[in-house]
Amino acid sequence: MNKPSLIELYFVFLKTGIELLGGGFVIVPLLTKNIVNKKGWITKDDLMKYYALSQSLPGIIAVNTATFVGYNLRGKTGALISILGIITSPFIIICAIANILNQLTNLTIIEDIFYGVGIAVIILVYLAVKEMWEFSVIDFPSFVIFTGAFCASFFFNISPVWIIAGAILYGILIKIAGKWAGR
Amino acid sequence: MILLKLFLEFFKTGLFSVGGGYATMPFLYEISNHYGWYTLKELGDIVAISVITPGPVGINMATYAGFKTTGITGSIVATLALVLPSYFIIILVSKLLKRFEDNFYVRSTLYSLKPAGCGMLAAVGLHLAKTNISDIPSFIIFAVLFYMTLDFKRNPLYFFLAGGIIGIIVKMYF
Repeated sequence: MNKPSLIELYFVFLKTGIELLGGGFVIVPLLTKNIVNKKGWITKDDLMKYYALSQSLPGIIAVNTATFVGYNLRGKTGALISILGIITSPFIIICAIANILNQLTNLTIIEDIFYGVGIAVIILVYLAVKEMWEFSVIDFPSFVIFTGAFCASFFFNISPVWIIAGAILYGILIKIAGKWAGR
Repeated sequence: MILLKLFLEFFKTGLFSVGGGYATMPFLYEISNHYGWYTLKELGDIVAISVITPGPVGINMATYAGFKTTGITGSIVATLALVLPSYFIIILVSKLLKRFEDNFYVRSTLYSLKPAGCGMLAAVGLHLAKTNISDIPSFIIFAVLFYMTLDFKRNPLYFFLAGGIIGIIVKMYF
C-alpha cells in the first residue's frame, strides 16, 4: 500500500467533507470511493473496522473514521490533518449561511418556512431515535438504561454528563452481577 | 470568558456523545437551557440547517451553535472543542486496539452509552415537540409528515421540503 503525503490526505478529506450529506453511514461509501478504490491507501476491511469502532466511540462518527484513517496512514499529524480536512468545508458553508440567515430573519416567508421545517426536525429526531433504538436497546438492562435516561432528562432536566455516568455505573454493575450469576 | 465556557461545553459534548450527530442534541439542549445562547426554537433551526447542508451533521450543528454566541470566533472554538476529544480517544484506541476491545470495563461502558444516548435524544425530541407543536396548523403539518415516515424514503430533504411548503400554505389560511 502506498502512503499519502499530508497535503493529499488533507485534500481527500476536504473533498469528502463537501460530498458528505445526510451523515451516519454515508461516510462508508464515500471513503470507499475516495480512499479505498481511487487511492488504495487502506483496504475495505480496514475501513469497515474503523467505521464500526467509530460508531461505538464518543464523537462525530465521520470525524472519528477520518481520524482512524489519518492516524493509521500518517500518525498523529495525519490524524490532525484529516480532522481539519473534514471540518473545513462544513465550517465555511455554515458560517456563510448563518451570516445570511441572520440578516433574513425579519422576512415572514422565511419564518413560515422554518415553522414547518421545525416540525420536520421533530420527525427526523423521531427517526434517529428509532434507528438508534434498534442497535442499542437489545435486552432488558439496556431497556432500563433507555427508560432511566429518558425520564432523568425529560422530567428532571438532569445534565447529560450525570445521566451517562449513572448509565456506565449501572452497566458495569449489571455485567458484574451477570458474571457472578454465570458461575 | 464566554469562549472558555463555550470550549468546555463543546469539549464535554465531544467526549460524552456516542452515536453520531444526533447524539450531540441532548448536550446542545442543555447548553440552551443553561446558558441561553440560543432558544429551543433556534435549536430546531440549527438542526434543520445542519441536516440539509453538506458535512457531518454534528460538525454543522456545533459550528452554527457556536456562531450564535460570538460569531465566527464562536464557531471556531465550538467546532475545534467538539473534535478534540476524538483526536485523543482514537489515537489511544488505535494504540491499544486489541486490549481495548477485550477489556471488561470498556465493553460494559460502550454497552451502556448507546441506550442512554438514545433515551436522552428521545427526551429532546419530546421537548421540541412540546414547543413547536402548539397549535392546529403545526399539528396538521406533524400529522402529514408523520404519515410520510410510514412509506417514504428516509431522505431528510423530503421532510424539510414538505414541511416548508405545507408551512407556507397552512400559514396563509390560519
